[in-house]
Amino acid sequence: QGREGGRLSSSGELFVLTYGALVAQLCKDYEKDEDVNTCLDRMGYGIGVRLIDDFLARSAVKKCRSYSETADMIAQVAFKMYLGVTPTVSCSSAAGNEFSLILDKNPLVDFVEELPAERASLCYCNLLCGVIRGALEMVHLPAEVTFLQDRLKGDAVTEIGITFLRKAEDRNGLVTTT
Amino acid sequence: MAVCIAVIAKENYPLYIRSVPTENELKFHYTVHTSLDVVDEKISAMGKALVDQRELYLGLLYPTEDYKMFRKLHNSYTDIMCNPFYNPGDRIHSRAFDNMVNSMMMQVC
Repeated sequence: QGREGGRLSSSGELFVLTYGALVAQLCKDYEKDEDVNTCLDRMGYGIGVRLIDDFLARSAVKKCRSYSETADMIAQVAFKMYLGVTPTVSCSSAAGNEFSLILDKNPLVDFVEELPAERASLCYCNLLCGVIRGALEMVHLPAEVTFLQDRLKGDAVTEIGITFLRKAEDRNGLVTTT
Repeated sequence: MAVCIAVIAKENYPLYIRSVPTENELKFHYTVHTSLDVVDEKISAMGKALVDQRELYLGLLYPTEDYKMFRKLHNSYTDIMCNPFYNPGDRIHSRAFDNMVNSMMMQVC
């Protein structure tokens, strides 16, 4: 088709265009960026609580034994499976419960050059945060997930921060430290 | 190398037009407008013959230009169309598009 290499398949492009149409429509529906961001997060949450089963079925991974393993799993298996990219993971707290995922490539923003001037606070990919949050909740790992940096807003990189909120519990309900 | 590049909407107004800075830029604008007649001619001719209707490149006004140039232009144009914040019919304001056009325009000292 004369496109440059590294592009998604036609169904991948359809997904990216659909996501863009969704965000554009939300921007028409809501005046404030914060409201659009909240809506995207909520939608993502609804996807995440369902997607986790699909993920566990397809990946057949064993239960993660630490937050660090979980973060690696999200970046190296889940992101790869659903978006075809592998963010770099790093742990950003001594307590071992805060992680950051740096996205070098993000297919969702392939066609978005920059945010419109009137949408400077829009978190275009906020759906992803909701997805991760919803999926983690279903495996009893409640977490806060937000964009810490965003290339679309002029930051140097795009970075998602995951903060696990509780100590991990084993199946018997006993509290164990990670 | 091009001296003028224009993207015209189907309602015949320019979405994007750039020419090499010269004294007579208006001449370029007129040329672009009159070339629309040639485009119309070619399209109606295609309707009669069983020409491949998917071929978007209708041909050269003068046999000097590069087909690759049109390809690049069209690919950049479709990228603009895919931007969810771009509304069809808007003027084109895109740094990526500008850069691509710059690379194709004649350098004027």
